[in-house]
Amino acid sequence: MADGMLEQTLRLRRGHEQIVYTVGTGDPVLWLHDLNGVTDDNPLVASLAEHYTVIAPQAPGFAHLEELDDIRNVHELALHYDDVLQALGVGPIDVVGHSFGAMIGAELAAHFPLRVSRLVLLAPLGLWNEHYPIGDLLSVPYPALPEFLYARPPGAAGPDAMDVEALVRIAQGMTSVAKFIWPIPEHGLSRRLDRYTGPTMVMFGGADEFIPSAYADDWTNLLPNVRRAILPHAKHMLPADEPAEVSKLVLDFLSA
Amino acid sequence: MKFHFFHLMPYPELPEDFRQKYHSVWVDIPRNLYDPVVGHHAYHDYLEELEFAAGLGFDGICVNEHHANGYGTMPSPNLILAMLIRRSGNAKLIIMGNSVALYNPPIRVAEEMAMLDVISGGRIVAGFPVGSPMDTIFVYGQNPATLRAKYYEGVKLILRAWQASEPFPFNGEFTQLRYVNIWPRTLQQPHPPVWIPGGGSVETWGWCADNNFLYAYLSYYGYELATKTMAGFWEDVDQRNLERNPYRAGFLQFIGVADSDAEAERLYKEPALYFYNRCLSVHPGFTTPAGYTSPATIRKGLDSMIALAGQKSSDVTWKEIVDRGYIITGSPDTVADRISHLADTLNVGHLMTLCHFGNMSKELTMYNSERFARSVIPRVRDRFAEFEDKWWPSDDTLIEPAPPLTTVAP
Repeated sequence: MADGMLEQTLRLRRGHEQIVYTVGTGDPVLWLHDLNGVTDDNPLVASLAEHYTVIAPQAPGFAHLEELDDIRNVHELALHYDDVLQALGVGPIDVVGHSFGAMIGAELAAHFPLRVSRLVLLAPLGLWNEHYPIGDLLSVPYPALPEFLYARPPGAAGPDAMDVEALVRIAQGMTSVAKFIWPIPEHGLSRRLDRYTGPTMVMFGGADEFIPSAYADDWTNLLPNVRRAILPHAKHMLPADEPAEVSKLVLDFLSA
Repeated sequence: MKFHFFHLMPYPELPEDFRQKYHSVWVDIPRNLYDPVVGHHAYHDYLEELEFAAGLGFDGICVNEHHANGYGTMPSPNLILAMLIRRSGNAKLIIMGNSVALYNPPIRVAEEMAMLDVISGGRIVAGFPVGSPMDTIFVYGQNPATLRAKYYEGVKLILRAWQASEPFPFNGEFTQLRYVNIWPRTLQQPHPPVWIPGGGSVETWGWCADNNFLYAYLSYYGYELATKTMAGFWEDVDQRNLERNPYRAGFLQFIGVADSDAEAERLYKEPALYFYNRCLSVHPGFTTPAGYTSPATIRKGLDSMIALAGQKSSDVTWKEIVDRGYIITGSPDTVADRISHLADTLNVGHLMTLCHFGNMSKELTMYNSERFARSVIPRVRDRFAEFEDKWWPSDDTLIEPAPPLTTVAP
């Protein structure tokens, strides 16, 4: 899954262990992954690794579900990531997050704004607007998930060639994120997001069935220092759906 | 062996093309499919069927909890039970059950069940299901990651509250209270018997065995398909060096008594097809959501999910229903033999029977119930007589006859 990356285990407070993957050289960038977990075939991670040292913690629950037992809500999740950054010994760091990872990034920035030098949020969870509710990911039957999430589902050579491993990986990820996104993936972030005043970019896929791109408005209305990008043909899995465009936009933003 | 009368209280007029046309019978079933006038008549028929069963001598009558569900229209089982208390003689009242995680705070369950126990004269059985994902996660928004922990905490709080000698504060992860003090106190001491309705999860067996709760496997698919699950439960019991007392287990079985196969088909085919083909049309995405279902279980199920993904799910036929044993049908002798076989195979002492199912009319339900009570139960009643039933209210209950209605002279 992450064979090309260096793996280390940090030991944190209260007996927590945190797996962190690292790849690339250069200034550090924090990658907060999506439902697939940390993988070495993510085009965006590969692009980032050409210019930066990508530091990719595996979100609690992705390795072992029990890791979530002692993290009860988004505040404790933000504290956990503060502990991770403390243990890594990094100063203010650029943060790039996708989907659930972007929700973590936004909460990290809102709770600990001094930790985050720049913030990139790809199809982030964390806000709720009843006029365009977030899609119910939990009730999509597993075989229908790739089409729901990707404009170009991975591993599909035809309707009969379903990639079981890809499905299992997503299902595993959903088991972990369910704690924080069900029933409504919003826990008061709108009340604290404006604490982060650093440069921010939000990016959405125009065809995203899970998080409607209309949410770009909600995020840009709350963030003091933000720019937006909508990629019209991409669905939720932006880096896989539009690898070249996503990489270019992120790299340009980080180097500005 | 004991025999109980179970009722789901389905909405009886789901359209014939329900499976083809609608997304799901559970969770997002369209609101405009429910006609309150139809519902009114259905509820009264069902109440009458339950009262009739109590009069026929079924040991217990059962209610259960479902939400946003076209085949189970009791979101509040306690309300229905309250309506039955004064018209059920000495039949025991089996609440199967209160889905504890959905009551906030859980002491609501403790209080309502205590009221029902006192008013009924000590006749209630307290059922505590974890709850299906449809009810708990999708309709009641429970978090799949914490549902089971919340349920355990709630059940423990209820049992502690029933037995406490004085009020106490409670600082739980999911509930915080300053004065837990259940008035009334339950009539049954130390508390009503506890039954856990389950769908076959391994965790539940161990928990039941450890706490001396009855384990009730509520399947709609008959006893022949239940052998593996019950065997797993009894292995857990063995591992704890407990007696294989059949009264620590319950099972649900559809019944259709008739004098011939042809008669059984004539009477029961339509309500059976209504149940299996219309009532069980649940959107697959609601049944095994992430978080409720472990990744290992999801992986195991994926092959069949993928195989079925392309096909439209198909209806079962009457022949399949009978051949697979979903429903035990036949003459009283046949039914009694099959129940004997069920007792041998599953070692279950508490049998919950569905003598009403699908869109069965009241007349047919009463016919079926009466034939079962008069002609089948006596043949199998003596099974397991050598065991003591420790999961049952005592027979020394207090029964107050309903007082005469008085009218005031004008």
